[in-house]
Amino acid sequence: MNNTAASPMSTATSSSGRSTGKSTSFASELQSMLFSLGDSRRPLHETAVLVEDVVHTQLINLLHQAAEVSQLRGARVISPEDLLFLMRKDKKKLRRLLKYMFFRDYKSKIVKGIDEDDLLEDKLSGSNNANKRQKIAQDFLNSIDQTGELLAMFEDDEIDEVKQERMERAERQTRIMDSAQYAEFCESRQLSFSKKASKFRDWLDCSSMEIKPDVMAMEILAYLAYETVAQLVDLALLVRQDMVTKAGDPFSHAISATFIQYHSSAESTAACGVEAHSDAIQPCHIREAIRRYGHKIGPLSPFTSAYRRAGMAFLAC
Amino acid sequence: MEREERYLELYLDRCSAQDDLAPPGLPPLSPVAPYDVYVCNSSNPEAVFNSHLEEVKEITGGFSAVDLSFLPDELTQENKDQTVVRSKGEDEENCKTQSPPSKLPLPSQQDAGLGLTSSSSSDSHSHLQPGDANSGQHTPEKPDSLPLASIAPMTPMTPVSEGSEIVPQLQNIVSTANLACKLDLKKIALHAKNAEYNPKRFAAVIMRIREPRTTALIFSSGKMVCTGAKSEEQSRLAARKYARVVQKLGFPARFLDFKIQNMVGSCDVRFPIRLEGLVLTHQQFSSYEPELFPGLIYRMVKPRIVLLIFVSGKVVLTGAKDRSEIYEAFENIYPILKGFKKA
Repeated sequence: MNNTAASPMSTATSSSGRSTGKSTSFASELQSMLFSLGDSRRPLHETAVLVEDVVHTQLINLLHQAAEVSQLRGARVISPEDLLFLMRKDKKKLRRLLKYMFFRDYKSKIVKGIDEDDLLEDKLSGSNNANKRQKIAQDFLNSIDQTGELLAMFEDDEIDEVKQERMERAERQTRIMDSAQYAEFCESRQLSFSKKASKFRDWLDCSSMEIKPDVMAMEILAYLAYETVAQLVDLALLVRQDMVTKAGDPFSHAISATFIQYHSSAESTAACGVEAHSDAIQPCHIREAIRRYGHKIGPLSPFTSAYRRAGMAFLAC
Repeated sequence: MEREERYLELYLDRCSAQDDLAPPGLPPLSPVAPYDVYVCNSSNPEAVFNSHLEEVKEITGGFSAVDLSFLPDELTQENKDQTVVRSKGEDEENCKTQSPPSKLPLPSQQDAGLGLTSSSSSDSHSHLQPGDANSGQHTPEKPDSLPLASIAPMTPMTPVSEGSEIVPQLQNIVSTANLACKLDLKKIALHAKNAEYNPKRFAAVIMRIREPRTTALIFSSGKMVCTGAKSEEQSRLAARKYARVVQKLGFPARFLDFKIQNMVGSCDVRFPIRLEGLVLTHQQFSSYEPELFPGLIYRMVKPRIVLLIFVSGKVVLTGAKDRSEIYEAFENIYPILKGFKKA
C-alpha cells in the first residue's frame, strides 16, 4: 500500500548513489530533534532513519540545483545568493530564512558586547562583521527584484503562522513537563545541524561535486535541513490527526491540527502499525505526508513549481 | 447627624462652586481648613479637589461625596439616608440623579472630569465610615471590614512590595577616552610592558594592566577603548592608568571625554524558567532560537536594555549606559520571570 507512495523517493535515493553502510548518520540526533519539534518523548528509530533519508536526498538535489545556478553566473563556489535565488518563489519560506539570518547577525552582535575577549577577537579580525548576512541578502534581493515584492519583505512584519503554530505547540508540550523533563527538552531543542558542522559536511558529501558551497552557504544549508525536518514533523502530525477517525463531527477537518492533538492526545492511537508507542510519529505518517505534499492537484499544478521537474517537491523551499 | 449634613452641604456647595471656577461665597469654617488654599489655587481644581478629599475624610468622619457603589450592600445601606440627602444636593449641581442606593453620580463625574484616578479616590474610600464623626479613632479598624479586595488599581502595575532581593552584579564595562594627541603605536609597543601590536592584523595597540584587570585598545589618533572593568570607578581609574603609561612614554597625553559606552550585568533568579511560554506571550520583545543560542533574547523598551534569559535562571543584562538602567530592567523582568517559573 505504501510502496507507490514511497516509490518517487526511493528512486531518488537509489539515484543518489548512496551506499548502504554510511559512515555518518544523524539518526540519534534526529530522534532528539523530532522530540523537540513536537514528536513524543522517545521518537522511533525507524522514523528518524526515514527522515534522515528524506532530508539527505532533498539537500543533495538542492545542492545540485544550486551548483547549476552558480555555474550560470560563472562563480567558483556556491554562495548564499544561489540558495536565495532558488527560494525566490516561496515568499514565506524566504522570509523565514531572512529572519534567521538577521537573528544570527543580531545574536553575534550582542554576545560580542558581553564578553570582552569576543570583542577583541572581532576587532582583530579586521572585517566589519556586523550585519554581514543582512547586507548580502539585501544586496542580492535588490539585484534580482523586478516587481519590488522581494524587497518589501524586509519591511514586512506579518506574523509567520507556521512559526507561531510551532511556538504554541512547544509551549503546550512544555507546560506539562516537570523540570527534569524540561531540561532534557531544552537540550534537544539546542541540537541543530549547524552545531555539528563538520559532521554535517561529511554527511552531505560534496566531494563529488565540482562547485562546493562556501561557509555561509553551509550555514544556510544546515538551516534548510532543520527546516525540512520541522516541516516534516508539522505535516506528519497533521496526517496523524487525520487518521484518527472521529465519529459525528463534520468539521473535524477544519479545526487546527494542534488543537485536536491537544484535546485528544489521550485517545489517539496509531492508525497504522501495531507499535507500542502510540504517541510517536510512524514512518507511514511521514510517507503519507510526503506523498500529499508532492501530489499535484489543480489545473495549474504543472506550472506552479519549477523544482518539481526533478520529481521532488522540496519541503524547505 | 445634623453636623454631618451641614458639613455635607458645605462640601457640596464648595464642589459646585469649584465647578463654576468662581470663588465660593461661604464663610470659612475652620474644620474645612484649606479654604484660603482653595482660593489661591482656583486655577488648579484637581489638586484642590484632592486635598478636599483628604480634609473631608479626616474631619467629617470620612463622609465624602463620592461613588460608593463598590461597597457591599450592608455598608451602602448605612449610607442610604445620607445618599438621600446627597441627592438633594446633587440637584443643585446639575447632575444626573440615579437611584439612591446605587450611586452618587456627580462626584464620580467630577472625578472623571477632574481626571482623578480611581485609585486615589479609592484610597479615600477606604477611610469612609458612615455616621461617625471621629474618623481618627475608627480609621484603623474600618479597613478590616471594608472589602479592600474589591478595590482594584486601574493600571496593571506590579505591586511594589514584591521587589526581588536580587541585585545584578556588574561584569564588564566598556568605556572610551580621548588622549588628545597623535600617537606612535610602534614606539608604544616597543617600550611599554604588556603591549601587543600587529599592524597587519589590526591598527591599534592592545595593552593590559593588572590592577584593575582591564584591556585597552589604543589607536594612533589618540582615542582609546577600555574594557574589562567591573565598576564605573574602576573603568575610569584604569583608563587614567593607561593615559599615564602613554604619558610616561613621552607623549603629551591628556584625559578627555571619558564616557561609559556599555555596561553588562548578570544575576541568577534561582529557579528554572519556561522560555517557550515567555517567547509566546512576549512575542514582540523576545526572540528564542535554541538551535542558534540557548538563551532567550529580550529587548526591553524602557529602559532600553537587552536581556539574555536562560533556562537555568541566569539573566544577563547588557546595553546600559548607567547602573540604574540595569537595576530597573531587572526589577521589570523579575515578576515576568516568576510567572514562567518551571516548578
